[in-house]
Amino acid sequence: MTTASTATPPVVQLEAISKSFGPIKANQDISLDIHAGKVLALLGENGAGKSTLMNMLSGVYPPDSGRILIDGAEVHFVSPRDAIDAGIGMVYQHFKLVNSMTVAQNVLLGQEGSFIIRPREMEARVGELAKRYGLGIDPATRVSTLSMGERQRVEILKLLYRDSRVLIFDEPTAVLTPGETEHLFLALKQMTSLGKAIVFISHKLKEVLQVSDSVAILRRGEIVGNTPRNQITSSADLAKRMVGREVLQEIERGEVIKKEPVLQLQNLCGNGLDNLNISLRKGEIIAVVGVGGNGQQELVNVVTGAMAPGEGSVQLLGRDWKQFYKRPSWRDTIAHIPEDRLGMATCPELDLTDNVLLTTRQGFAPKLFLNRTLALDVTKTIIRRFHVACPGPQAHARQLSGGNLQKLVLGREFFRRPQIIVAEQPSQGLDISATEEVWHRLLNARTTAGVLLITGDLNEALQLADRIAVMYKGRFMDVFDASDEKKIASIGLMMAGVSP
Amino acid sequence: MMTEMLIPLLTAAVQSGTPILFATLGEMFTERAGVLNLGVEGMMIVGALAAFLVSLATGNPWLGVLAAGCAAAALGALHGLVCLSFLGNQVVSGLALTILGVGLANYLGTPYIGKQAPGFYAFDLPFLSTLPFVGKIFFKHDALVYLSYVMPLAFWFFWHRTRTGLALTAAGEYPPAASAAGLNPVRLRWLGILGGGFLVGIGGAYLSLAYTHLWTNGMTAGRGWIAVALVIFAFWRPGRAVFGAYLFGGVMAFQLRLQASGTQVPSSFLLMLPYGLTIAALLFSALRGRGGSSSSAPAALGVNIEPEQ
Amino acid sequence: MFGLTVITRQEPPKWGSCLIFPAALALSLGVSCLLLAAQGKPALGGLIILFQGAFGASYAVVDTLLKTVPIFLCSLGVAVAFRMQVWNIGAEGQFALGAVGSTWAALTFPGLPAWLLLPLMFTSSAVLGGLWAMIPAWLKLKLSINEIVTTLMLNYIGILILDYLVYGPWKDPSSYGFPMTKEFPAAAIIPTFADSRLHWGMVLCVVCALLLWVFLTRTRLGYELKASGESLRAARYARMPHGFLVLLVMGLCGALAGWAGLMEASAVVGRLQPSLIVGYGYTAIVVAWLAQLNPGKIALASFFLAALRVGVENLQLELGVPAAFGGIIEGLILLSVLAGQFFNHYRFKRSAS
Repeated sequence: MTTASTATPPVVQLEAISKSFGPIKANQDISLDIHAGKVLALLGENGAGKSTLMNMLSGVYPPDSGRILIDGAEVHFVSPRDAIDAGIGMVYQHFKLVNSMTVAQNVLLGQEGSFIIRPREMEARVGELAKRYGLGIDPATRVSTLSMGERQRVEILKLLYRDSRVLIFDEPTAVLTPGETEHLFLALKQMTSLGKAIVFISHKLKEVLQVSDSVAILRRGEIVGNTPRNQITSSADLAKRMVGREVLQEIERGEVIKKEPVLQLQNLCGNGLDNLNISLRKGEIIAVVGVGGNGQQELVNVVTGAMAPGEGSVQLLGRDWKQFYKRPSWRDTIAHIPEDRLGMATCPELDLTDNVLLTTRQGFAPKLFLNRTLALDVTKTIIRRFHVACPGPQAHARQLSGGNLQKLVLGREFFRRPQIIVAEQPSQGLDISATEEVWHRLLNARTTAGVLLITGDLNEALQLADRIAVMYKGRFMDVFDASDEKKIASIGLMMAGVSP
Repeated sequence: MMTEMLIPLLTAAVQSGTPILFATLGEMFTERAGVLNLGVEGMMIVGALAAFLVSLATGNPWLGVLAAGCAAAALGALHGLVCLSFLGNQVVSGLALTILGVGLANYLGTPYIGKQAPGFYAFDLPFLSTLPFVGKIFFKHDALVYLSYVMPLAFWFFWHRTRTGLALTAAGEYPPAASAAGLNPVRLRWLGILGGGFLVGIGGAYLSLAYTHLWTNGMTAGRGWIAVALVIFAFWRPGRAVFGAYLFGGVMAFQLRLQASGTQVPSSFLLMLPYGLTIAALLFSALRGRGGSSSSAPAALGVNIEPEQ
Repeated sequence: MFGLTVITRQEPPKWGSCLIFPAALALSLGVSCLLLAAQGKPALGGLIILFQGAFGASYAVVDTLLKTVPIFLCSLGVAVAFRMQVWNIGAEGQFALGAVGSTWAALTFPGLPAWLLLPLMFTSSAVLGGLWAMIPAWLKLKLSINEIVTTLMLNYIGILILDYLVYGPWKDPSSYGFPMTKEFPAAAIIPTFADSRLHWGMVLCVVCALLLWVFLTRTRLGYELKASGESLRAARYARMPHGFLVLLVMGLCGALAGWAGLMEASAVVGRLQPSLIVGYGYTAIVVAWLAQLNPGKIALASFFLAALRVGVENLQLELGVPAAFGGIIEGLILLSVLAGQFFNHYRFKRSAS
């Protein structure tokens, strides 16, 4: 399927590209055109096959079948070097930067040039390039000291230095504040006006509509739509095409009576936290939103007991932090659902029973010996009740998909009957149906617990929370009711540190 | 009077520290590219034997040095094969390499115990050796020691002022960055192993061609392991490695002198000095490093590069 | 590399990992034959002598079994440590300290009856070996000091301590200059079975293996050990007693290696002497990696490598081959096994050209 009338021939053409990993068909028969001076948005849920497609285009691995054509001629990429030489560059979601090196060193890594490098000359060249494209950054600074938005600029500079003609952006706004996102969009406009072709990969409907010239929709490995922007009516229309059914943009929350406070922070300071005050009651969900790296990790660490509070008081279930964590019980207390599902919440190489035992083991070992048969039964029950699709309890955690792993983790944590739940980015990387399941579970948990939801997804916060706290540089810019429209409108500003 | 005692000791320290310096720089070269190589002891002794055999056969000690570098690099290539091509555990592979290397050298070297080979002998550097105090300590040595003076500088220059050095740094810190830049991090790590191995081999050559002109079974006596520790002690920087190597050289020289002087201290305790000092050095680095020396280590050290698909 | 790409397997290979060890063994023996030939010794003949030395006669098998005991005990401990990603290279030094500990008890209390002296020896060797292992463990926990180097350095120091004692304060005055302590009193010798040279240490091996197996599979601590070794981040998240486990594991390893030293000093030689130290601690690394945490496999691998040692001794006797030859075979086996384990998770494919 090709886009509607564009006079110039496409820079890049993908013809009937397919790729499988074992039994999984990641990409099936994909055909796309990429034109210079235009932004092609590639829209799809997580797991739809976007990363696989872009990895093939950037030379990481070859397609099983189909052709890639550049300026009408067929190309075969054996390595990322070939793709770079052909003018294709990618700005990754997880930056490929060496933190201990400077900006200039990162930009010039792998580039042609003399054997001996002169740092000052390097920095001059990179500085000049940055000025030309309006990406203000000091080439001599170490990358480890830069913010996420600045690091992304370094990634872009890398591509511009190589005269890349096609720039692929993979979920670029995930780590940016709303303000930085606007800057990025301006930069994209600048680049297209200079003749670059942009591919913008995202699952955020609003942004796609804002920035694209045409939208290609990827669903389960196949292209199910390829439309010019001016033919799309609304985000709901787009969403329906993406998922193939009516998407529940609004979720039924239901009212729950709020009971006694389960978590209280008073004047919590230290370790990157600045005077936090909040009270979480049983029956409510408080969402802490903000760009990653503004104190959320430290907050989670203190609340879950990984880090001692500096100054101020932290009360969990009526007890002081020190008392509470002196002898933590496995039950009726606090559950932590971390962001990192595979590697932190679970051990990838252990089977599901062992993973269930991870946080519940004391319950199955009253004295010295561990009752594995009982644990196995409980695991089977969790698998059944939480609809965890898996070969069985003997499967390794590594074999489960993200959604099913998250469901297992939820099942395990809920088995402990927690009264406080700390959930970090619970639906990250999950498709829409898994996300809905997770959201329902969290909402149901309100009857027995208070939920502290840490999320960078504003939509998730708005759907689930009773109250919203905006975090910036370790402090709460504001804590307000989720029905307060005025405050919601200024969330973007607050996330960037501007008080309303 | 003091200087009369000190000068011979310091001179011996330089001599004794030179093989350790080569080995430390060699291991540092490999580790900064991201590969942990615990086979240094095995590679060093294989280098020592190769140098001895080739020098004995050809009469040319420089050929011996070349052979030492190549032999050690070849042994290192096994480590590379297991870890870089077959994604084996880097710790265990290095240990296996030491077991193999030490066994190989002692096995092949047994017929040559007690034989003498042409080697390197000390000579005075014109003018420099006439300098007071420093002249006697640093400039009256054999050619390999003079080579070792240049090594740390060359090392620094290569890693900080060349494109290859930059690429190797990326391979050791964050291989995905190297891949994204169009480089091949696996190939870069091979360079790290072979280049570092060559240097380690030279360290071994020094033992059998300069420090002594003999072959003895087990002649490295744990120097390879001390080199591994010194890389940590030096925070992966060549300048500090020099300090560490000469410090150890000094202690070993001191221990020998003390033994020869007929002291009351049992020889076993004197022999313990270098090993105890190694632990002390690591202790010192850990206390100084505040948060462990792990913060200066190359971020991807010891971590194999997983395949893409 | 070499025109091949690495692909991750979706599930483990069907023909399983049981082919890896035989292939590695074949490769190592093949290379060893070449090395024998390079020195002018008969290659195939050497192999036969190797085999005969280990299994050729009943006394050879007994020799092999006797050597299996210390290797087994050391490997058991090392395997548990490796499981927790604690790289204990120090079994050799812990073995030495264990031998020292048992000697101390035997020489200090020669008048005690066996039923008191033997348990005392077991305790002292376990304590000394365990402490020797816990020093690097503590340094690792408190100061993040790399345990590979510290355990290794303590090997050298431990052996030197043994040397000092044997040449110095514990030297047997009637030994005419040979380095050895006085003979152990009869009460300090571990008894043998009936007429054979096999001693009760073998029973100890079986008991230790059983206890360890029960510990690892049935107890909560055993589970915590397994989980902590898998993922450090998950272990911290799940509040595993990581520090305690590291100390426990190292203490256990040191005690087991210490008992191996006790066995050799008491049951095999009957006194302390430097020739007790033959590198069992390093062989244990090879066994631990080959056999992972399966006590049955550890027993099998220990037996194999003990057979190798006895065979090499025979080679030494018959053909004058240096003892270092054994190290070559062990090193090659471990390297090939490491390479072979690649095929459990990955496979090769021709690169697209």
